Amino acid sequence: MSEKEAIKSLIKQGELYFKQSLLNQSKEAYQKALELIESNEKLPNREKLIQVIQGKIKVVEENLNELEAEPDQPELSEELQKLIQKRFAFSKNEETAAFEGAMALAKFGQYEQALEEFHKLLKKGVMPLVAAKNIITCMLTYASPDAAIAQYIQWTSQDVLSKPQLNQVRVYLKSLLEKKGMKAELPPVIKPKKGEEEEEEAVIDISSITMTIPEGPRKGETIELDVSFQMDNNISVVIAADQKDLLKSLKTGTRLTDIQCYSPIGFFNGSGMVLGRTQIQEGPKKGDYLLDIAIDAG
Amino acid sequence: MANFNLKQRVIECKIVYYGPGRGGKTTNLEYVFKAFRKYTSGDMVSIDTKGDRTLFFDFLPMGLGKIRGCDVMLQLYTVPGQQKYSSTRKMVLKGVDGVVFVADSLEVRRKANLLSLKDLQQNLKEMNLSIFKLPLVVQYNKRDLAEEGMPIMSEEQMEQDLNSKLKVPSFTASALKGDGVWPTLKECIKLTMINLNKELKWAG
Repeated sequence: MSEKEAIKSLIKQGELYFKQSLLNQSKEAYQKALELIESNEKLPNREKLIQVIQGKIKVVEENLNELEAEPDQPELSEELQKLIQKRFAFSKNEETAAFEGAMALAKFGQYEQALEEFHKLLKKGVMPLVAAKNIITCMLTYASPDAAIAQYIQWTSQDVLSKPQLNQVRVYLKSLLEKKGMKAELPPVIKPKKGEEEEEEAVIDISSITMTIPEGPRKGETIELDVSFQMDNNISVVIAADQKDLLKSLKTGTRLTDIQCYSPIGFFNGSGMVLGRTQIQEGPKKGDYLLDIAIDAG
Repeated sequence: MANFNLKQRVIECKIVYYGPGRGGKTTNLEYVFKAFRKYTSGDMVSIDTKGDRTLFFDFLPMGLGKIRGCDVMLQLYTVPGQQKYSSTRKMVLKGVDGVVFVADSLEVRRKANLLSLKDLQQNLKEMNLSIFKLPLVVQYNKRDLAEEGMPIMSEEQMEQDLNSKLKVPSFTASALKGDGVWPTLKECIKLTMINLNKELKWAG
């Protein structure tokens, strides 16, 4: 390929990449073309060509700058926000789904609407501690540390959160502020009575778990199980009757040191112990086993 | 994971178009929306930037009619391909039943294809899903650009780069013209349905 043809080809590439919105590739092709033109002093209309290519590079750069300046998470229309809430809530439980929807709004940067939803949940008393923590997180991201602190102070004079819950929000907010390198004087809450502290933990719904099988024929394998029932820290998962090797690996008393529990507020690591199993006698899962696991550390 | 309403005999499943930015994921969906209106059950929703880059996702609901006595509702999504939207991709992948990986045939996008496939594998792994087990179809898009003299990779090279380990069905396509769009989606739907039937056992 002659130098002239190479220049022509590079300019064409630059144009097509630009059409494809592959702006960096477009700029690169134009720059290569420009280098070739500049290095060839005998090229007819050299000065004019240089001017034209420089103009094209300028347009590409303007487009790149425009893209750079666009907000990553613009405020969406109400319709789109509702779509996000609906499509990114997976739980069949209405309250959990409402939580997931609010979480999705926050994750897509729709903080104002997410805040509104979390406030509604808090008012209804649905997982109040989790709602409050999410409000704090949203406020720190969307508004300012001062707004988050003001919100906490407001709660201390209201009765939407119990004292142990307020204490936990205080600790949470303090840790977030410290991560930002800020030290704030947050008004303390009266020390909760013994036993009150654990109040909220039972509220966290675990929807599924993953764990590494510690012993038996499937030792070392990681499996995911959906939680069928939960009472406090005890969960029940279904294991199909034909999964005999799995049942052999998960005998009563087996310690499970590596469990990840998934909940609407994210996931947490834990450990636990197999409490026992019962065979399901009726319904579509008749013959399968219900395995009870006590989760004992989070 | 698909949503199976046993009482109403309705299955809702989710197929996600994944791939590098500007590779043609949205164009695939636009073509499906335009050409297969009778299967769509609502408008296509796009949340994009001024430069037509997908910002959060595109969404297209479809109804496939009855399969073995069950109404099958399909939700098609695209993810934002740009590298910076990693957390959004994870969100969109949640609950996925099948994936169409749209690779860009342009030579300059070779690395972007590989990075995106790796990103898909990693994100699936974080959800305890395996790229080797999930219904997956690969599409080599923008084949028409060869006619315009653009340097594109050969099908063999793309197959070697992206599919030598996966060994999943692959299709060449020009989404802008509609070539290869339906065969790609049809195969992904087929694989997804087979897989779901193994799990839900509704069709015997």
